Amino acid sequence: MFTKHTSTRSFGAVVLLVLLSLLLAACGAVAPSTQSTSAPAQVASSTQAPATAASTQAAPAGQTSGDPVLIGVSGPLTGPNAQYGAQWKKGFDLALDQVNDAGGINGRPLEYIFEDTQADPKQTVAVAQKFVNDPRIVIQLGDFASPASMAASSIYERAGLVQFGFTNSHPDFTKGGQFMWSNSISQADNAPILANYTVKDLGFKRLAVLHLNTDWGRTTTDLFVQAAKERGAEVVAQEGYLAEEKDFRSTLTRVRDANPDALVLISYYADGALITQQVRATGLTQPIVASGSIYSPKFLELAGTAANGVFTNTNFFPSEPRPEVQTFVQEFTAKYNEEPDSFAAGAYDTMILVYNVIKQYGTDRKAIRDGLAQIKDVPSVIYGTVQFNPETRRISGPRNIKLVIKDGRYTVWDGTKP
Amino acid sequence: MTSFFDHTINGLIIGNIYGLVAVGLALIFGVSNLINFAHGSVYMVGAYIGWICVATLGTPLPLTLLAVMAGCALLGMLIERVGLRPLHGAARIAPLLATIGISFVLDQVVQLIFTPDPRALPSQLPTWRMQLGTGSIGALDLFIAAVGVGSAALLYGFLRFTRLGWAVRATAQDRDAALQMGVDVNQVNQVVFALASALGGLSGVLVGMYFNNIFPAMGFQATLKGFVAELIGGAGNVPGAIVGSLLLGLVESYGVALLGTSYRNLFAFLILIAVLVWRPNGIFSSSRQAPPEPLTGTFIAPSKPLLLPRWALATASGVALLLPLVVRDSYILQTLANAWLYGMLALSLTLVAGTVGQMSLGHAGLLAIGGYASALLALDLGLPVALAIVLAGVITAGLGTLLVFPAFRLRGHYVAIATLAIGEIVSLVILNWEWLTRGPIGISAIPPLSLFGWELVDTAAIYWLTLLVVIGLALLQHRLTRHHLGRALRAIRDDDIAARAYGIGLNRYKGLAFTVSGFVAGISGAITAHMYSYINHQTFDTQISVLALTMVILGGMGNILGAIVGAVALIGLPELFRGFAEYRMLVYGIVLLLLVRFRPQGLLGTV
Repeated sequence: MFTKHTSTRSFGAVVLLVLLSLLLAACGAVAPSTQSTSAPAQVASSTQAPATAASTQAAPAGQTSGDPVLIGVSGPLTGPNAQYGAQWKKGFDLALDQVNDAGGINGRPLEYIFEDTQADPKQTVAVAQKFVNDPRIVIQLGDFASPASMAASSIYERAGLVQFGFTNSHPDFTKGGQFMWSNSISQADNAPILANYTVKDLGFKRLAVLHLNTDWGRTTTDLFVQAAKERGAEVVAQEGYLAEEKDFRSTLTRVRDANPDALVLISYYADGALITQQVRATGLTQPIVASGSIYSPKFLELAGTAANGVFTNTNFFPSEPRPEVQTFVQEFTAKYNEEPDSFAAGAYDTMILVYNVIKQYGTDRKAIRDGLAQIKDVPSVIYGTVQFNPETRRISGPRNIKLVIKDGRYTVWDGTKP
Repeated sequence: MTSFFDHTINGLIIGNIYGLVAVGLALIFGVSNLINFAHGSVYMVGAYIGWICVATLGTPLPLTLLAVMAGCALLGMLIERVGLRPLHGAARIAPLLATIGISFVLDQVVQLIFTPDPRALPSQLPTWRMQLGTGSIGALDLFIAAVGVGSAALLYGFLRFTRLGWAVRATAQDRDAALQMGVDVNQVNQVVFALASALGGLSGVLVGMYFNNIFPAMGFQATLKGFVAELIGGAGNVPGAIVGSLLLGLVESYGVALLGTSYRNLFAFLILIAVLVWRPNGIFSSSRQAPPEPLTGTFIAPSKPLLLPRWALATASGVALLLPLVVRDSYILQTLANAWLYGMLALSLTLVAGTVGQMSLGHAGLLAIGGYASALLALDLGLPVALAIVLAGVITAGLGTLLVFPAFRLRGHYVAIATLAIGEIVSLVILNWEWLTRGPIGISAIPPLSLFGWELVDTAAIYWLTLLVVIGLALLQHRLTRHHLGRALRAIRDDDIAARAYGIGLNRYKGLAFTVSGFVAGISGAITAHMYSYINHQTFDTQISVLALTMVILGGMGNILGAIVGAVALIGLPELFRGFAEYRMLVYGIVLLLLVRFRPQGLLGTV
């Protein structure tokens, strides 16, 4: 007695299935349609696809014309890491304003397509396929988190498109293949610098290390602990916490019982601020040394007065007199009416670097990869000048400025031991 | 000894914070009988209303709190009226999906207005602190405790002694009977949502002030601990929520003292499992309490499933199989391959959640077990990938069933929260079991998919592999549930007491279902791991469990084809909406709400 109904209903379901797959096909079909550079194809793509039009692209500037040179960005615009994607965009847009005002890539504007992935691996692999199939994309930037980036690495490697993971410090990221490059600060570089500051300069010998329990936090901590021990310090407590943790009182009681003479935070700014605040609220008086990743105006806002006296060493400091830093900071402040943080600085640096590579070595995907191995002396906010090690596909020797927070402001450390 | 005292104080302080959230949840969870995923979002909205008051209007504290409570109460009434009331009479599971959609929409709207950056929310209370042991407690600690206990007492009194409170409880026990007795059920529900949301907003603003930190995604994690605390006390038991919260805080604090910070949440979720096993209704409920038996409506299925004739299914499969020959765009194939992988997960979940009625919110844990098992078998023991994947399925079936076994004696929402806890435990064990799983560093260089020595790296090959596996598993599941076994499993879902009286051994049948479910999910996780080549403890997180449940509800509970359709829809939609950039997830939430509004029984209907 069911069959009469079902034959008509089943049509509905089949139609539904077909519709869904058609919709998917229609949306994805946009990318290949721009494969040919002839005029009709261009028109077709622009009418058919609000997708590309609405995607975030930098405004083309006056002096440039012609087809834009496109960069694919895979990163979080929604979801729990969206604030980092928002900072990236600010850094990218500022850099593109500058390079396109200066004529872009031989008169063609440099632009990017930002695809939101929420730093979620299943979306990064789909976006990776989208980018590698779009012949207009010459290089890819991102993703934010290492698990998301590394899930897509094999797709980029096979297609021969550079995956430039500028926040991916996971030691295995650039081992994914010849096309995985990163200017993220190598922790093998940074951790000994922090250890030097803590042990040699500030003279702390009994350290309690609190670290974010992620691939980044753990790698940094292991390298830091090793470097600190080599310099004669003792690590009396080591506590890893989850990114979503908010309450650190019990951890701090453990830390207190270990009787350290300083606390070392391997943290981002939001969690670093929470810990700093609770350290003071629970009555601990030991000085705090934090990794440069806490460097952000937000740290000061979130930690309040507890931030005073925190030592940190940063790779990017807005008051540094070098011209590339000053240009960046002044224009950033003018454009967005806020101070840049280290994520915005990293994004800006990356875009300037990519511009220089494309300008010198052309828009061919392979040429860009080879160009990265050869490029020299690109001015950089974080590194001074950029030069890659073609073996590790990373950069070493970041700038390093020792800071201490005084009266709610970052100031250069004047050499007085606490 | 002094540290013991300090750890006790620390535990009570954080327990106090959990209590504030748990009391609001106790009301909505126990009384309206709904896991309200939107509660966390209301909590977040409360914090942001507080921020507007403090940072831009400069209102004094009482006014701030009043504004937050009024704003959130209105929001709660709106959610009830627009999101949930239209679903009355539809499938019972539909409101759950609606709350997930509402939560998406609220989180996204706030994120678009206020940017995703965290903000400082300064406390408006005096900053004095009282020395206690070697630590100290502040005015805000005392105030939060007063609000928590005060609201619990008020609620208890309201539910016990007022006519409206009686009406609320009557509605919770049996909506139709209450209606027959002249209770205005809609008004009652509106009151419940207004009250619970006002409390939720209040806790949001106070916790935000406590940590001096608010951000648009703050709701989910905060309510997770609230749920745990509330279940320890006993669902719907308002005083129990307070005691449960303090207990949870103490256990966490002692856990940190004993083993270190990274074991904190492990202790939290283990205590929940322990309580649920020893006292399934929470420590403060009498264990003999019979579940409420609704008088009407139980045995009338809300909808008939869509039954597709074989030729249609065969045609659809054929079209899917031939697709890579026509569509060369690897982006579409990759997206569909992802959909097939999630289709396996949804198949696995629809068996336990739909057919047996054991709603699981911990299915990502099964993916993680499968992924890690296969990756480690292939890397450390050098097994061929195809063999590793099958073995991973078997391991997940065994380990998964063993882990869920303590939840077998639970019913309804308790199963959902217990499995949620089990999923978290799996992730935390992976994080801490370093010599086996490499901890937070994760496993990299996992060998790519291969079959009989052929590496499947081409996207079309991955597409075919995942499609064939999902079709195979769907056919297997169809055969299993078509005859006697399926009827027995559905009997357990519809009335487990009657099923037991009829001679159906509940544990055996549930065990069988979870074994099949674990195998299917394990295969999906294993293939994913080889496709990604890198996984760590965050690859398969709680969001994936929620997504899987969304797929199953959207497709139609227990509906095998529905699970796959749900997966294609929910993997495909966010990709389709790419053009909306930052507005993408907002559009996704709205579409989800519309789908549940017009197809509450699921796209293909409940089986």
